[in-house]
Amino acid sequence: MRRPDSGTLLLLSAALLAAPAAVAQEEYVIGVAAAQSGGLAPFDQPSFAGFQFCVDEMNAQGGIAGQHPIRLEVRDTRSDMAETVKFAQEFVDLGVNFVVGPADGDPTMAMGQITGPAGIPTMTFAGTAPILTQVSDYVFGSYPADNQQAAVLASYARELGYGSAWLLKSPDAAYTLIGPEYFGQAFQTLGGTVLGEGSYTMNQPEFSAIVTTIQALDPQPDVIVTWAWEPDFPAFIRALRDAGVTTPVMGADVLDTPTVRGLGDVVEGVVHTSGGYAEEGSAHADFNARYLAATGLAADTNYHVNGCDIVGMIDAAVRAAGSTDPSAVRDALADLPETQGIMSSYTFAGTDRMPLRSVVLARIEGGQKVFIRRGLADPAIIPAP
Amino acid sequence: MGTLLQQTVNALSLGGVYALLALGLATVFSIVRLINFAHGEVMTIAGYGIWWALLLALPAPVAILAGVAVAVGAALAMERIAFRPMRGADVTTLLITSFAVSEIIKVLFQNGISARPVPIVLPAWLTSTIDLGAVRIGMISVVSIAAVVLALGAMALLLRRTPLGLAMRAAAEDFAVVRLMGIKANHVVALAFAISGALAGIAAVLWVAQRGSVDPLMGATPVLKAFIATVLGGLGSLGGAVLGGFVVGAVEVFLQGFLPEAALPYREAISLSIIIGLLVLRPDGLWPAANVSRS
Repeated sequence: MRRPDSGTLLLLSAALLAAPAAVAQEEYVIGVAAAQSGGLAPFDQPSFAGFQFCVDEMNAQGGIAGQHPIRLEVRDTRSDMAETVKFAQEFVDLGVNFVVGPADGDPTMAMGQITGPAGIPTMTFAGTAPILTQVSDYVFGSYPADNQQAAVLASYARELGYGSAWLLKSPDAAYTLIGPEYFGQAFQTLGGTVLGEGSYTMNQPEFSAIVTTIQALDPQPDVIVTWAWEPDFPAFIRALRDAGVTTPVMGADVLDTPTVRGLGDVVEGVVHTSGGYAEEGSAHADFNARYLAATGLAADTNYHVNGCDIVGMIDAAVRAAGSTDPSAVRDALADLPETQGIMSSYTFAGTDRMPLRSVVLARIEGGQKVFIRRGLADPAIIPAP
Repeated sequence: MGTLLQQTVNALSLGGVYALLALGLATVFSIVRLINFAHGEVMTIAGYGIWWALLLALPAPVAILAGVAVAVGAALAMERIAFRPMRGADVTTLLITSFAVSEIIKVLFQNGISARPVPIVLPAWLTSTIDLGAVRIGMISVVSIAAVVLALGAMALLLRRTPLGLAMRAAAEDFAVVRLMGIKANHVVALAFAISGALAGIAAVLWVAQRGSVDPLMGATPVLKAFIATVLGGLGSLGGAVLGGFVVGAVEVFLQGFLPEAALPYREAISLSIIIGLLVLRPDGLWPAANVSRS
């Protein structure tokens, strides 16, 4: 028998040494489809930034469950539905363990129709339409759903003594359409009246015609409610206040941005829901400080911290499953009990995969977000998806 | 009656902005046969110019002038860098070039400044209201209408009372002959872009004042509406572009104001159907150019 030469021995030794390391460092691959340009970029960019930041932090600690380094497969959807769907198929072909999709319900549902049947758990960055999980058992939300936000907002509106509301909605997105409708349902359940509603097109050039319609209402509503986002909300509130209409305005979490707060006097007193509030000394405030120190940029929206919480949700599911198998992770995530996140605690147990999370109520005063309170929606008035 | 009057003011205000943009599109098209879809981005650049000037703590009037000046500069730069090398190319190539310029500018703003809108707070007097009997009109609407009248008046004077305007009108009629007469083509084309930039800059001021923020995609919708207005008015016709702008604005506002609640989600479809109907009746536009040629 020929004795192995020294070179062969060296190779064998290297292979034996590397083998256990390779087993211990089995990668956890996450496909991320987020818009870096286009209409969804204002929401996807900060979500992805917070997500990436916490992936890096987790990898420094060994990765998911402390033993699976995370590898990201990142794709820019450019806010294009066709691109989003294409990337969903690409993720399936790559055999990723988990997919994180855009911060809107519509593209997430489109992705879920492909990743769901392929058995890959898929989570939206911040889509809040509760219907988004109905597309597949593998699709998950991450942010407090619209019907939860609407119920909390409607309760507060009734507490303030508002008896009548006027709703402004847009059929162009599930979020802008059904959010105000959920509010209307919860408001009416609590004894309020919906006087009417208006409809706008996203990126609509002007809102003065709608404002004139509001001015002509008799009786005038006690409150105007909309789920409009930027740049439509700034245009609407500007037109409303410029026309001298002082009716209080309420909106959803999407108003929780420095852009809206920077609009000046026209947004003074606007009340909105939010996913979180960085109280001093909280984990949320600590995240903001860490993010600022590491990147030099302020985490000035809740999308940053929610992106980070998604990493925690995946980690918690893999730990609970004791496996990286996508189906096992999906089952564990769907049954995840009350878990402490950074923005807030969450649970998927007993839900239809939209997490039950507390909703923050805030008011804009002097260009600042002023905390009103934090709480869970009353199940008795949460509208059905 | 009060509501009707108020919606009429709204229609004039919106239609005026469309008219300014449509006139800018038509001015360039009439000379170089280019539908410049990056015209909306000139408007966006003007918006960011105002924002930047306000960040530097410049007074609002200076910031507004700076925004218009930036728009003129951007339009001239666009012509020099992107469109002059393509001079003589066919209409499709020019169209694709303009889309490319538009996309490049949008992505630069989204990744260079922010994908999110940035707020612009203009002086308080602009947000006041004027009561005229039963009608309460926002100062911004009044300023918009006045600015549009002034801008269109200045444009008419330039075109009709100055040698440059004469050259431009002649170029719009027959560019080849104008060149044979010894007028420098580059000067006329550059002037057309400068004028379109100024009009886009003024439109941006009104737009930003009404909307309170500027974002990378700000110009996309208005330029589309302006394009519809130029086609409706008669492609290449300057007067037609203005008329088309006011008609499109009026159709949009009155549908928004008077459609029944259940029909409101179909407003855009109804609006475009009305415009298509008008074009069926007048295929060359409401006020066609003398040398109209349709592709």
